[in-house]
Amino acid sequence: MQMSDTFYDNWTTQLRKGLLELAILNTLGAGPLYGYDIVRRLGDVDSLVINEGTVYPILSRLRNEQYVESYIEESSSGPPRKYYRLTPRGREELRRMNTHWTRLHEAIGSLKKERGRT
Amino acid sequence: MIDLTPEARKRFDEYLYRMRASLRGSRSIEPQEVEQNVVEHVQAALEGVPSPVGQERLSEVLMQLGPPEGWLPDEERPAWRKVMDRVMTGPDDWRIAYASFALTLLMIVTLPIGGILLVLPAFFLSRAYVEMLAQRGESLGARRWLVLPPIALLMLLACVAALIGATAPVAAIGLNEGGLRAVGFRGDTEFERVRIEIGFVAMAAGVWWIVLSGVFAMLWRPFRFTFLPLTQGLRRGHAFVLTIAGIVVGGIGSVLLFVV
Repeated sequence: MQMSDTFYDNWTTQLRKGLLELAILNTLGAGPLYGYDIVRRLGDVDSLVINEGTVYPILSRLRNEQYVESYIEESSSGPPRKYYRLTPRGREELRRMNTHWTRLHEAIGSLKKERGRT
Repeated sequence: MIDLTPEARKRFDEYLYRMRASLRGSRSIEPQEVEQNVVEHVQAALEGVPSPVGQERLSEVLMQLGPPEGWLPDEERPAWRKVMDRVMTGPDDWRIAYASFALTLLMIVTLPIGGILLVLPAFFLSRAYVEMLAQRGESLGARRWLVLPPIALLMLLACVAALIGATAPVAAIGLNEGGLRAVGFRGDTEFERVRIEIGFVAMAAGVWWIVLSGVFAMLWRPFRFTFLPLTQGLRRGHAFVLTIAGIVVGGIGSVLLFVV
């Protein structure tokens, strides 16, 4: 593996780890979902989730920190499922995180534009 | 409950065991909750698959879930596990560094049963690693703590062996087989005998070091290369230090032997 590949791989891994919490909270922003559904939706975002299992410890942590809460609901196609939804605290945190992400995204965008001009 | 074949059940139980072991002790994650989610995930992923579900189909789902050893957040993983993860999943060059360090540790642990011999493979691994990084233009950085110990140890052994070198057999002949007495050095008192013996050994060492400094002046480049990067600053001129040391020690030995 080339050195630049290693650097790129490390960078994308770190980025992915950092963004996964934001992505999970945004997924739940639309309404309650159960674990497998969250994973499926995140899986639709290209290269965001490499190992699907990493989503579950994050869900547990978010619940412990009271950003999400869980409840059990009967399922028509199998055993009862554990659903997750945002708490008011989680909704507020998601708003802050999205604002920060937008600012960051815009700042990087303007840096790219500047580079394009030079 | 998923209907699995016995092999698939065994595989799934092993996976859950690994997951529990990996998340044990976490302050922010509840392993039972994660396990419940994983079981639900597998159930949902295998929905519609004819039962009993075999190992192959289950393995596909578990592969997608990924190894649970990496699920704990970095800040919560104990130091030993970070090291193990680096060895198991890190880039090849880090693995070489850790392998070298592991051999060094094994050498220390097995010293009473001849473990010192492990210094050789550890040394070769470390040297190959240093050369590989040099070719890439990378510095050792923190990895020096992993790869330099065997190089330093072998260099120390080589230096001690070289410095003792011919002095040991000469001293053995002179002291143990009455060699000194045969050539007229007889001490009448205990003090005299000790003076003569120390003087003889010091003179032999001094002469050997002067010879050794000549050898070093000729072969300093191979020596420097062998123990890089520790010998990075070594020059031919350093042979002169050994010559001076030889003259001083040999001189002291001569004074003790012939003058006092």
